[in-house]
Amino acid sequence: MKQFRSMVYPYVGWIAAMIVLPMLLILLYAFTTPGNDVATFRFTLDNFSRFFSDSVFLAVLQRSLLIAVLTTIICVLLGYPIAYTIARGSEKSSMFWVLMITMPTWINMMVRTYAWVGILQDDGLVNSLLGLLGLGPIKMMYTTFAVVLGMVYNFIPFMILQIHTSLTKMDKSYLEAAADLGADRMQSFLRITLPLSLPGVLSGITLVFLPAVSSFFIPKLLGGGQYVLIGNVIETQFLTSGDWNFGSAISLIMAVIIMLSMYITRKVDTDPATNGKGD
Amino acid sequence: MKKLVAAALAGSLLLTACSGNSGGSDAVEKYGSDTLKLYNWGEYMGEDLISNFEREYGVKVIVEYFDSNEMMYTKLQAGDSYDVLVPSDYMIERLMKEGMLQELDLSLIPNLPNLADGVKNLPYDPDNSYSVPYFWGNVGIVYNHNNVDPAVVEAQGYEVLRNTDYKGRIYIYDSERDSFMMALKALGYSMNTENPQEIQAAYEWLLEMNNTMDPVYVTDEVIDGMANGGKDIAVVYSGDAAYILDQNPDMSYWLPSEGTNLWSDAMVIPANAENPKLAHEFINYVLTYDASYSNSEYVGYASSNQEVLENLSGPGGYYEGNAAYLPRSGYEKDEVFVDNPTLKKTLSDLWIKVKAAK
Repeated sequence: MKQFRSMVYPYVGWIAAMIVLPMLLILLYAFTTPGNDVATFRFTLDNFSRFFSDSVFLAVLQRSLLIAVLTTIICVLLGYPIAYTIARGSEKSSMFWVLMITMPTWINMMVRTYAWVGILQDDGLVNSLLGLLGLGPIKMMYTTFAVVLGMVYNFIPFMILQIHTSLTKMDKSYLEAAADLGADRMQSFLRITLPLSLPGVLSGITLVFLPAVSSFFIPKLLGGGQYVLIGNVIETQFLTSGDWNFGSAISLIMAVIIMLSMYITRKVDTDPATNGKGD
Repeated sequence: MKKLVAAALAGSLLLTACSGNSGGSDAVEKYGSDTLKLYNWGEYMGEDLISNFEREYGVKVIVEYFDSNEMMYTKLQAGDSYDVLVPSDYMIERLMKEGMLQELDLSLIPNLPNLADGVKNLPYDPDNSYSVPYFWGNVGIVYNHNNVDPAVVEAQGYEVLRNTDYKGRIYIYDSERDSFMMALKALGYSMNTENPQEIQAAYEWLLEMNNTMDPVYVTDEVIDGMANGGKDIAVVYSGDAAYILDQNPDMSYWLPSEGTNLWSDAMVIPANAENPKLAHEFINYVLTYDASYSNSEYVGYASSNQEVLENLSGPGGYYEGNAAYLPRSGYEKDEVFVDNPTLKKTLSDLWIKVKAAK
């Protein structure tokens, strides 16, 4: 194995340049005051106190977390049955459905989200169809519904694929053994399939929650700018205010929240009581 | 307008491909290089502006688009090199202050006398030492005169955007500069004010608008939105308004008596331009009657060429009777934005708070 060791170096270099360095810069910006040149840093906690002392920002943070949690829950509730059905089918049909689910992600996310504007707007597709049935137009654009829908639509493939993978990896002989021992289908699902697929659900949750909590494009487009989420605040700091320090501080706060939630998820994941080996 | 971009993009790609090997060497001899790098606003050029220039001069033009002055500024600071940029007034002022532009050689721009009266001697660059106007205009209220009484709009001005009779029926332009301009003008203040009380009052004006009117915040979507009659009232840039009025006969344009933002976008050559000679040629070309005519007719913004302006807005012109095409000039309450980074930051912070309030 030793001769392959050196093949790791490019990867280490990549990580250093693309992940560690930007993170360090964010850290540096977050704790310094604006306008200082490279030679003289002035360290400060002002950026953080400014965020936590302002009820508007805290409300935005709360709203972002709420929408992200809601999105994640819907993705689990919808994604699990879909993944389960796909995994139960033959290998061929399973491959087909996985392809169908991944296909939309080949299209740029911005374009896909734009398509929803045409579907949801007051004279859009849905309302035209409702109009044919004699039902009045429903206001869907620029509502929480549109924002959550856009998020679920964009992020649910990550959930389905994660759960699907863990379901297909599952050893079928457990189910046969359970049947031999007299378990009905419900029991074997609850006591074997569900626990064994939990790691997939948990990594699916991470993959959905992270982009949902930091998304700034979907609320901007489908929420009509009224649904200001934390990603929008960060975007504004970098693109229009030009306050990179405050923007970095908010990014850092988000990073901490995300790391905490990942830590909790992993904790649940390694807890023997939940992964079925404890019984 | 999205179609315009697509068409312009496709056109320029096509012509870039075609003109690639035609007469390139002459151009190289004359200008030192046969490639011009242009950085302009999206949806801001006639469909044949670039292709005609390429054909006439045997050169290639690479176009990139920005959607805000700040975005352009960030790229420029990152060291990207362009030959011609088209920033707005206050941004040109900043670029000049920071030494990021090169002085123009006016002998290479013989069409300069074609400039329209409204864009001569602009305060940020009175002698055109650094910039040559491209389009200009103001900002006004577009409204659907079937649903909103013109008398109400004319009496209330910007205040109509807080008239709860029209709740849920307005678009607000999502930019701190334009929204604070509206609020400050409605309150009778200067839009360049640094007085904290006046800024606070404008903030509260916008906050109430946000909390009572259920507005939709948009940028370029406002163009299609109003052209399709999606909402009844919006504050819009004059050139976009000219296009909306052209597309939808139900729409009218009103310039509030409280005053508005008189702006201009101008062509400049950055200090690090690789091909300044060809850049001068392009600037001169944009000022020609034919180029400026089709450019302005297509996009809807007021031409910087006096004759084009008169012909397009005059009898028989394409924009005859279009209230939004020809900018109001000489009105004392109309103001030009002054570059003020501190103020901009303050307003930007307040603006995100307005939008996040509900």
